[in-house]
Amino acid sequence: MIRNTVATLALTLLLTLHSQACLADDPVIPDDKFVYCTVCHGMQLRGIEQLQAPRLSGMDAWYVRKQLDAFSKNWRGAHAKDYAGMEMRPMAAILSAPEIAEAADFVSKTRSPMPEATVAGDAVRGEKLYTSCGVCHGTRAEGNEGLGAPALVGGSDWYLARQIRNFRDGIRGASPADMYGVQMRAAASVLPDDDAVDDIVAYLNTLQPE
Amino acid sequence: MNEQVSRRRFLGLVGAAGGATAVYQASRAMGLLPDTGKPALLQLARAPKSGNKVVILGAGLTGLTIAYELERAGYDCTIVEASHRVGGRILTLRHGDKIDEMGYDSVCRFDDEPHLYFNCGAARIAGHHHRVLHYCRELGVPLEIMANDNAEAYTHDPDAFGGRPVRIREFRTDARGFLSELLYKAVDRNEFDKPLSEQDRLNMLEFARAYGELNEEARYKGSKRAGFGQGTDGFASLGLLKDPMDLSELLNSSFWRHSMHFNEDENWAAPLMTPTGGMDKIPQAFAREIQSPITLNAQVQAIRLRDSGVEVAYNHRGKRHQIRADYCFNNIPAHFVAGIDNNFPETYAKTIAGMYRNNFGKIGLQMKSRFWERENIYGGITFTRQRINQIWYPSHGIHRQKGVVLGCYAFGRDQTAFFERMTPQERIRFAGAAGDKIHNGYSEQIDTGVSVMWGRMKHMMGCGSTFRSPEEWEKLFPIVQNPQGRHYMVGDQVSYHPTWQEGAFSSAEFALQHLDQRVRAAARA
Repeated sequence: MIRNTVATLALTLLLTLHSQACLADDPVIPDDKFVYCTVCHGMQLRGIEQLQAPRLSGMDAWYVRKQLDAFSKNWRGAHAKDYAGMEMRPMAAILSAPEIAEAADFVSKTRSPMPEATVAGDAVRGEKLYTSCGVCHGTRAEGNEGLGAPALVGGSDWYLARQIRNFRDGIRGASPADMYGVQMRAAASVLPDDDAVDDIVAYLNTLQPE
Repeated sequence: MNEQVSRRRFLGLVGAAGGATAVYQASRAMGLLPDTGKPALLQLARAPKSGNKVVILGAGLTGLTIAYELERAGYDCTIVEASHRVGGRILTLRHGDKIDEMGYDSVCRFDDEPHLYFNCGAARIAGHHHRVLHYCRELGVPLEIMANDNAEAYTHDPDAFGGRPVRIREFRTDARGFLSELLYKAVDRNEFDKPLSEQDRLNMLEFARAYGELNEEARYKGSKRAGFGQGTDGFASLGLLKDPMDLSELLNSSFWRHSMHFNEDENWAAPLMTPTGGMDKIPQAFAREIQSPITLNAQVQAIRLRDSGVEVAYNHRGKRHQIRADYCFNNIPAHFVAGIDNNFPETYAKTIAGMYRNNFGKIGLQMKSRFWERENIYGGITFTRQRINQIWYPSHGIHRQKGVVLGCYAFGRDQTAFFERMTPQERIRFAGAAGDKIHNGYSEQIDTGVSVMWGRMKHMMGCGSTFRSPEEWEKLFPIVQNPQGRHYMVGDQVSYHPTWQEGAFSSAEFALQHLDQRVRAAARA
């Protein structure tokens, strides 16, 4: 009888722990000052398409630092056609250098389920087109810090497609001081047609993060 | 003696016996008073003894109403709110208040005076908003009349009348005068498709004459409705009529396209009301009455539908908390829901995530003096074709030294995007420069200002999620309005009239009635 009760109690405790784990297993709880990030990018920065705020979960800290820096220097979010970038820019502009590092650290520790594919394209053609992209971004799109090229897997595909088009159209990478942005703008300008953007993204959707 | 009691006498007898309330009830029963639509949600069945735990996400107007009604029916409610305050988009800014804009955190610098406040969200109540008025009555929130329509205010179009502001009184009178003259001539010559009887024809001619105040020859040669001219005022001097404005100049103005008829709409037609001292008196009254715990600065992280309830996780001061409830009422803006870990069925999740994120924005300016009152303007709205759209003059605080005017009202995403790109200081400068085109020295009068573009406000990032096409309303709205399991989406976003308080209350009413029916059904089973 006592054994039964103990067993029941143990089971109850286990179940309780388990059900709590379902809701409470996030690896990082943001500091109050970074709750800002989650307002638009969602819990664990899983991304919200309606707000045009991409998934950032687990993004490399070095790349987050670079982009926050790019926003605060008006390299990003200053173009009249970049509404979502404009929404982001003031958020980066208020961060000090140590806060940027802290924010990047927080971003890199977040985890969320892989995003759904939303962009339709010809992945076979995309793979061929990606060959030249892979020189910098890596054959598995894993990114290359030395070349300033971010990983391209695990992001929101609609965001990737928009950014490639923004580079191509000179909406992003327009500031001469933004060295990597200028490089990427040049790379995007040689894409043969508009479908090429969706095709590349469709190919990236077939890759798994390492 | 069989005396027939008159209705008035009967009500007198009822009053003597039962007081004013009894007279009111009896009058309603006799059909002497229209049914004011007392919300049915007030007749909630008592909560069941078990299964009465409710979690409410968001302390906006709908969340507060649901807590207020349910705790009175015996439910055990908890409210979780992401921001630092209750009220949602019912926001009244006063001296020292925090303005929680993403990237531009600031503090309202209005003088510390009770009449110097600005309603940044909901601002107006119409007489048919019976749910709002029911709660104002029940919670004892004092209301006052707020002028929306003011004939002395201006219409302004940079491309008409040489860019000079024109009194609405003058524009409206002349427009009606010209129209009446045309109508008179058409009727006089029997140019209608349908033949009129002689009596109808005569009545119509008189209608045209009265509508536009035509002269003896049925011509429009000006009317005192436009205000007297030629330096006369009609009191100390004999009032002389103004000459009618140039018809083609009048037609060239954009005013008649929309704004001239703005105050005919049922939600804007005079008279309107507003709580004395600021719209936030309504959420404050709810917060005062509610006993249920409200946790501020608590951001929802996860919502899990379970077989017989809903689990919610939220962060508060760097710690994770969990609530298990029998029912969940979710007041969170629809566009944030996709960012919260959830196990919603796909159609439900996608319908919520796909709702259109609307935006509105206002700029409030504290003016050093109430210069508009020296231009005969007491309350009401000036309409301009400039990007600021409108200038509102406060109906309260008349003849005090200072006042807060609305210096810009941006409607919809395209209009707000223009202002969202600016810093708050740039927005105020822009509003000042636009005001200078209407009032001499306007921008020099600005002490300080506030701008609230809802699309940039923390934990809001929009104003009134909604559907847009008739097909969407028909197909998708019921998906959001009806609960998924024990999870109810609520808020003005779950009404046919988002961004209005009446919409928020109507959503609370729908959800509570739905809950009440299932609770009653369960009790019968």
